[in-house]
Amino acid sequence: MKQQAFEAHYEVRWIEFADWLKRSGEKRNKGSHGGLALEAMDVPARYRELCQHLALARDRQYSADLIERLSNLALAGHQALYGAHTRGLERVWQFLRTGFPRAVRREVRFVALAALLFFGPLLTLTFAVPRHPEFAYVVVPARMLDSVQEMYGEATKALGRKREADTDVAMFGFYIFNNVRIGFQTFAGGLAFGLGAIFYLLYNGVFIGAITGHIIHSGLAVNFFSFTSGHSAFELGAICLSGAAGLKLGFALLAPGRLRRAAALRAAAAQAVPLVVGLAGMLLIAAGIEAFWSPRTFLPPVAKYAVGAMLWLLLLLYFAFAGRERAN
Amino acid sequence: MLDTAREIPTPEGIELSLRLAGPVARALAWMIDLVVRLTAFGILSIPVSLLGGIGAGISFILWFGLEWFYPTLFEVYGSGATPGKRALGLIVLHRDGTPVGLPASLTRNLLRAVDFLPLLYGFGLLSVVLSRDFQRLGDIAGGTLVVYREASTQHGAIPAAPPLPPAMLLSPLEQRTLLDLAARSQTLTSERAQELAALAPRLTGATGDTAALARVLSIANYLIGRRA
Repeated sequence: MKQQAFEAHYEVRWIEFADWLKRSGEKRNKGSHGGLALEAMDVPARYRELCQHLALARDRQYSADLIERLSNLALAGHQALYGAHTRGLERVWQFLRTGFPRAVRREVRFVALAALLFFGPLLTLTFAVPRHPEFAYVVVPARMLDSVQEMYGEATKALGRKREADTDVAMFGFYIFNNVRIGFQTFAGGLAFGLGAIFYLLYNGVFIGAITGHIIHSGLAVNFFSFTSGHSAFELGAICLSGAAGLKLGFALLAPGRLRRAAALRAAAAQAVPLVVGLAGMLLIAAGIEAFWSPRTFLPPVAKYAVGAMLWLLLLLYFAFAGRERAN
Repeated sequence: MLDTAREIPTPEGIELSLRLAGPVARALAWMIDLVVRLTAFGILSIPVSLLGGIGAGISFILWFGLEWFYPTLFEVYGSGATPGKRALGLIVLHRDGTPVGLPASLTRNLLRAVDFLPLLYGFGLLSVVLSRDFQRLGDIAGGTLVVYREASTQHGAIPAAPPLPPAMLLSPLEQRTLLDLAARSQTLTSERAQELAALAPRLTGATGDTAALARVLSIANYLIGRRA
């Protein structure tokens, strides 16, 4: 078949297909329904037909002009058919109900390693610094220790703030800006063969541990813990998960197994993304608690400890049990 | 062929061609995006700053969102490109040529933090230059490509001329070469087109430059099936 006869014979079908692509794109964006020459049911068959035409045109050495036109049409069809993905609230709910906790359980080895790297120095210093208070000054600048001490001193109106510090909403914004960034950086740092993630975990563990120990030594433990207990579960848990996600990236590069490194990295990143999305959500919750609940002093510290402990328990139960299939 | 085209095999047994975008186009797109982001932040900050403490909180959240989620928002829920990429005709796709989804987009944009190191996309540039498909580290991990939205359009239609059968049998490749020359004859200078047509004297009958080109066009018209 000569090129011109080929074109004349199939022109209408290509135009119909192009029209469907254009209109379905508009429909996706605007939600309008129009009378399309093609039903959605027919589209896959039409797409395969188009692919066949493209292959024929190439094989018969038709002009570059025609091949390019068919090729562009096929690419658009490929994207429309294979690129379709569901969106919306249903997906968010599914993620919270099953996706996130399952991802955490699947990566439990990395989560455990990250927890060790983070909580190890944190707890060690929390207990060691009250006995050797000078050590806090080795790892944390003296000015910072003074300012922390001021934040939890007796005279403050709201816990965890300096006297001149800002309102709840301002702090909420700052906590999101700062903490989620740290979470993301820890994850991204894992790309350096895991070293960045390990560094951030150890660094934050040492830093937080030294400050906690210093506060205990200064006799401000009640103020400090009644401030931090509420958001500790979500914030510390999220740091742990960000480290785990980063370690997963690094491990894929160090030990790619039977894959090429790039392929191993791709697979690891795809599995780490749910952790990162989830931990960003956890840090948003933590920022809300830290800004609006933690500084309040109308409840006795014991009540705030209880709330904090309860959130830890809920979070652990969520990760342990949410989204499990019933065994049949 | 040494080219920036990347072929993607599809389940239907054909190959689709994508044109990869190089570091310069991507850097320009990033700069445009930077200006857009700073402008957006500047404009939004004015009313927000009147709100005092609440405003400070909102502007932190704004800056956070613009820093981390601006590209993902446009790539997934726009049409595959940030305003900067759109201005340069670029689009982000999965490696298989499909539009980028949320997980891949998040991966490539969160790992931007590493690509940006040690300063101004040092690692990113290194990775783009060293990888076969112009991918920065975030692209490798996310499995994404940055390509030109439009395929090249350097081919014109074959101009109409009185069709004439060739004097000898032509192989498919020879036919294709002839068709390509006929299609390009519009965009070449007439001297160059004539010069090229004169390269096949046995085919055209060696009747002088203008006649050779006219003959090429006639044969091309015959080959695509036009009949007098």
